[in-house]
Amino acid sequence: MTQTNITWIEGAVVENEVHMTIIELSHASRTPEDLIMTWVSEGVLSPAGSSPEDWRFGGDSLRRAKTAAHLTHDLELNVPGVALALDLLEEIAQLRARLPRED
Amino acid sequence: MKFRDYYETLGVARGATEAEIKSAYRKLARKYHPDVNKESGAEEQFKQIGEAYAVLKDTEKRAAYDRFGENWKNGQDFTPPPNWNDGFEYSDGGFGGGHPGYGGGFEGDQSEFFESLFGRGKHRQGGRGAHARQGMNFKGQDHHAKVFIDLADAYNGAKRTIALHMPVQDASGHVSTQERKLDVSIPKGIKAGQNLRLSGQGGPGVGEGPAGDLYLEIEFHPNPIYRVDGKDVFIDIPLAPWEAALGATVNVPTPAGSTLELKIPAGTAAGRKMRLKGKGIPSAEPGDLYVVPTIVLPPADTEARKEAYQVFEKAFDFNPRTHLKG
Repeated sequence: MTQTNITWIEGAVVENEVHMTIIELSHASRTPEDLIMTWVSEGVLSPAGSSPEDWRFGGDSLRRAKTAAHLTHDLELNVPGVALALDLLEEIAQLRARLPRED
Repeated sequence: MKFRDYYETLGVARGATEAEIKSAYRKLARKYHPDVNKESGAEEQFKQIGEAYAVLKDTEKRAAYDRFGENWKNGQDFTPPPNWNDGFEYSDGGFGGGHPGYGGGFEGDQSEFFESLFGRGKHRQGGRGAHARQGMNFKGQDHHAKVFIDLADAYNGAKRTIALHMPVQDASGHVSTQERKLDVSIPKGIKAGQNLRLSGQGGPGVGEGPAGDLYLEIEFHPNPIYRVDGKDVFIDIPLAPWEAALGATVNVPTPAGSTLELKIPAGTAAGRKMRLKGKGIPSAEPGDLYVVPTIVLPPADTEARKEAYQVFEKAFDFNPRTHLKG
């Protein structure tokens, strides 16, 4: 009798369980640390902690940082433009979720 | 292989100036950017626009591409003539259009057409490993991929075998794509847009450095019955006019697979949401399931049914448009 054992990889849900340092977030979003610092100063990201060394990025920081990186790279938006786009995208997503499906 | 008309993709004339090409690209890139445009097909469109721009913004590539002349049409079968690009040199075979991490396609998003002409793009950011001096240690790259699950998987948890296409660099620096299968357990309670971090499942480390991590971004397959907003779930429940007017008990299917009996109170208006507390996506603080009643009119398609509506009309002195003063 043969038995196949599959080891299922368990992941951690970033938004609930992971609090990233600036180094981890920089690595995961492929963004230089100084750009992340600029995003924090513009309110794009709101880490806990008082100085960059003890910042902890939780919640949807990774998703926001990834989108910010895409917009910066693909559309060459500047930092205030990225901040505005992120806020508007979030609002659109909320409104869209409430719409009845059109089909 | 199909020919790609990059001018047509960007909607510019063959004689367009650099400024015109840039402006056309920017306009289309904003419109089809996959973070902005959630229509299906937008991502593919965005990649094609990026590819067209990567060629047309580069004087050398554009000049080489222009050699094919203007008789080629989008989608025509095409084989590049031998030595077609003699005399052209590209400072960088790279493809600058896309950003790593879309849709699980790590690299190699460019078309076969592009690759046959200009070569496969350099593995973006992969350069660090290649240039690292001996004895240096780096953590491997973090990789990103998107995984689609059903809403029911968020209620019940799921086990998924996913296939990832990873760029692999051999000793001579040649990059090829290899398929890698991973058996992943999707935890109960995960929501759309959240990321699952699989430690050490990303790119290999450099030197003694640890492997990078793999991030799986969770998306839900579109669902014909439910809408999802964060942890709250919405379902439309169609009611017959008499059910809405007189009250009724209806069966509401939950995404978890069970059925709930719901009492519809008499005089229920269309759109008046009813909340089933805690029946949304489960977690320590579970979301709610909202039932949104809609009212469906049965068709007046026989004489008897028309009469029924006429009886209905006579029974009421009803003008639904009084507020319009009509």
